[in-house]
Amino acid sequence: MNTSPVDVFDKYTDAETLSKIVDYSTVGEMWAHSVATYPNNVAIDGAQRATFAQLDQMTAHFRTVLVQNGVQQGDRVGILMPNCLDFVKAFLAVTTLGAVAVLLPAHLDEATIFGCSMKFGLKALVYFEAFAPKLGLLANRNPACKQIAGTQSADVPTPCTQLEGTHPAAVLFTGGTTGRSKGALLSHQALMRGTKNGCYGIKDVFEQRYVLVLPLTHVFGLVRNLLTCLYTGSTLYLCQNNKDLFRDVAIFKPSIMILVPALAEMALNLSKQFGRNMWGDSMKTIICGAATVAPYLVKEYASFGITLLPGYGMTETANLVSGNAEASTNPESVGFVYPGMEWRVVDGELWLKGPNMMDGYVGDEEENKLSYCDGWFKTGDLVRFDDKGFLYITGRKKEVIVLPTGENVSPAEVENHFYAIDEVQDCLVYEQIYDDGTWSLVLEVLPRPAVVAKYPQEQVEAILKQKIAEVNAKLPSFEKINKVIVRTTDFVRSPSMKIVRGQNKQ
Amino acid sequence: MNRSEIESRLKDLLAVALGNKPQLQGVTSDSHLVNDLGLNSVGVLYLVIAIEEYFDIRFDDVGFGDFTTVGDVVDYVESKLQ
Repeated sequence: MNTSPVDVFDKYTDAETLSKIVDYSTVGEMWAHSVATYPNNVAIDGAQRATFAQLDQMTAHFRTVLVQNGVQQGDRVGILMPNCLDFVKAFLAVTTLGAVAVLLPAHLDEATIFGCSMKFGLKALVYFEAFAPKLGLLANRNPACKQIAGTQSADVPTPCTQLEGTHPAAVLFTGGTTGRSKGALLSHQALMRGTKNGCYGIKDVFEQRYVLVLPLTHVFGLVRNLLTCLYTGSTLYLCQNNKDLFRDVAIFKPSIMILVPALAEMALNLSKQFGRNMWGDSMKTIICGAATVAPYLVKEYASFGITLLPGYGMTETANLVSGNAEASTNPESVGFVYPGMEWRVVDGELWLKGPNMMDGYVGDEEENKLSYCDGWFKTGDLVRFDDKGFLYITGRKKEVIVLPTGENVSPAEVENHFYAIDEVQDCLVYEQIYDDGTWSLVLEVLPRPAVVAKYPQEQVEAILKQKIAEVNAKLPSFEKINKVIVRTTDFVRSPSMKIVRGQNKQ
Repeated sequence: MNRSEIESRLKDLLAVALGNKPQLQGVTSDSHLVNDLGLNSVGVLYLVIAIEEYFDIRFDDVGFGDFTTVGDVVDYVESKLQ
């Protein structure tokens, strides 16, 4: 069993800032402190605007709406809304009343919404009015689930409920370690520890300016974006349409962005295309995660004066497990594990315990049995630590290829070698077995447009294969690639832009 | 800006979105944005932002999913510039 030193991130933050990074046991406790400390700071900006004090009032009145609809402590309440002020209000109201917020992705169809209401035993559903046409089946077949428009309010406020940190707060959807959709149950203390972790490793983290482009139903959007903003007295600008992102950025002038690598890359290409930093001079830091962060992005953003910090986390860990505050010198790592987490590495797999861990998958005993061992959560991620304590993700346990030679190959670990090539945007390694029993380790690569554009088109594949051959020559024999395919179309990807293994063999 | 100039500039923007790919050599007005050129959702977002920025136009309520071919995009940009 290992833990990080409690002061592992202290050197990246000044003493005054550090003194404000404290533990809260519940969302309500954190929220009360923030409202008292930053009442006139703008909490939510964009099409709708509210200060911390105004949002607190709206939340208190919406708690009354929930009570009027019969919602009590411990009940589960679905939230079906896009990113908007009413989402934030509803989330705060549900959790501070002591009910459990089940965050339903906005794209769910009518049958799935009904199915979720049954699976999670929803007492009520708070919905975005434009989604009302998707609620007919729910109304007909589960009338006990009260439907509450997110715009509702009441004449009088209802106070927060006093809760323990172990009280359940939210259910978030995740593919988890097996890829099947599940609901991870997160307690108040898990959300608050995840939120606190998001404050480490950045010099200026209080009273900052963020633009939100990730969905609030995703743990990266909810914890590292929304809750960290609320915790730090920062302002969160809600981008209504991603195509307007850089207009919003020009007006709002954010200082920090939370991005998945694909969006960080897109912004980089636009900056090169138009010869100016699309993020503007106010942008200092990009927190990047939810998929593999290519070292190339760290280097390129540094040339714009922006620090891009890779991190690692999961829905099951309330987002944040580790963060890399030294990305400029060590861009391949996902950094140090945050204080308070306990970890073991068992057969290469990272096992975790700690206050930010989920309390299991809701109603999924089979999945819970597979995911835990003696109280340790088995992440499914294959990792290594270097002698300084930097964590590296080397692959996924379930993806390990057992070669006919009996040797185990982690495709992600092999792919990481090729991600070091600037001309490689994305790559995928898999095993191909032929009818005659022979086999190949295949590497498919997607060229990085902005880099290969400088080569004559007819030479791109040859140049790429030459660079791949140079990397391949240095690999141990069992990891060597036998076949290279240079793709001309993108990989099949998940909604969060991850490459979907098993659906991408050309 | 005439139609051929719009198409030419659009191909330049596509080149960055897609890289210097073989598909771009034979690209025509009839080329399908997804099936022929392989644009993914982030590539589409890139192209929408780049078109708005370069041509100084705003897409209305239409989404990029409303366009099937390169020619559809050229038609739209041309109509917005008039």
